Amino acid sequence: MRYTPKEPRENVNIVRTSLLKEFFLLAGGILTITVIVYTALGLAVDLVVPRLSPGIEQRLGGMYSGMYADTGDREAEKRIQRILDGLTSVQPEERGWRYRVHLVENTTVNALALPGGRIVIFSGLLDVVDSENELAFVLAHELGHFAHRDHLRGLGRRLVLLAMVTAVFGQESSASRFIYGSLMDVEMKFSQRQEEAADLWAVDLMNRRYGHVGGAVDFLEAIARKEKRSRFAYFFSTHPHPSRRVKVLKEYIIDKGYRVRESIPLNGL
Amino acid sequence: MQDLIVFVVLLSLGYFAGTMAESRHYRSIRKRERELLKLPAVTAEDFLDEGREIEDVRLVHGSVVISIDYFKRILAGLRNIFGGEVKSYLTLIDRGRREAILRMKQEAADADIILNLRIETSAIGQNANRRKTIGSIEVIAYGTAVTLKK
Repeated sequence: MRYTPKEPRENVNIVRTSLLKEFFLLAGGILTITVIVYTALGLAVDLVVPRLSPGIEQRLGGMYSGMYADTGDREAEKRIQRILDGLTSVQPEERGWRYRVHLVENTTVNALALPGGRIVIFSGLLDVVDSENELAFVLAHELGHFAHRDHLRGLGRRLVLLAMVTAVFGQESSASRFIYGSLMDVEMKFSQRQEEAADLWAVDLMNRRYGHVGGAVDFLEAIARKEKRSRFAYFFSTHPHPSRRVKVLKEYIIDKGYRVRESIPLNGL
Repeated sequence: MQDLIVFVVLLSLGYFAGTMAESRHYRSIRKRERELLKLPAVTAEDFLDEGREIEDVRLVHGSVVISIDYFKRILAGLRNIFGGEVKSYLTLIDRGRREAILRMKQEAADADIILNLRIETSAIGQNANRRKTIGSIEVIAYGTAVTLKK
């Protein structure tokens, strides 16, 4: 038998298609399905959250008690609590608990609303505020989150997302990181609207408490001055850019005809 | 956000580096296949001309380990959800088998024919046989090289 060497004509073992196209098709499909399920579950959370009783919420809040276990300066905390009490006394809605403030030693300039009526203030924030009114604005902003149930909604949605993604892709896979990351960005947009709503709500409450809204814009302007990151970095952030918040707030104050008067200074806080 | 950036960077790095490495490998495979075309490698166990005297018989083998790139691995992961042909692994297997045969042929360059060719593939590396993923594959090709008396 003779052997005549010749090259194979074509390779049937590989398929000449665009893998890139296949990738976008599959990734898009997954993303669409996840978004649909997530939106549906998110709406379910929104439906349940306003009906949650204060008792259940307080039990939920118990899970976070570790966050404010080692509180900072007790004296300062008491003074902030007095400002908070002043605000809650004119609050339109009663939730059946006393709002508590916790001062936590941390350089972060931030405050949190936790389930069960607890507000955590990081001590870094006190370096930025100059007056009682500015601090009151921060507290009123957090009270706004309570009034809109944002603190529970955010909790519920994040839980839904995490549960879904880990169920489909497993705990440590890169696919689940990717999907969680991209959906969190959608979530951030949602939360930016909530932040703006909380800002406006806070201004209303301040006007009711002090008769004017001095200090509210000052605080956001101070934050805006400290902020080095560009507007682009804020596209995927939980909060809108401070200068945008200032703009929205100023328009709202003019719209409502609120007065801006001298703020009450904070002595040694 | 950071996770997303890292993921996209890895994905595009995997895609471009993987595509480049693949087309370079295929060019090299085709070139060497042409060069070694005169040496047949067959699966038959007995394929000798009657009456020709045998000078030398020996075992020859060639093996290669090839890894898949990040992009193709993710694509295969997505495929795992929907089902269907995992096209992103086809070139990996094809390259591995052809490269292993080429290396085997190189080892038997002075022989006249390679009989009883066998090819085996196994998954090796950190993820081998776990979590339904393939990290890299090892392909080994072996056969009996026969040299005839001139």
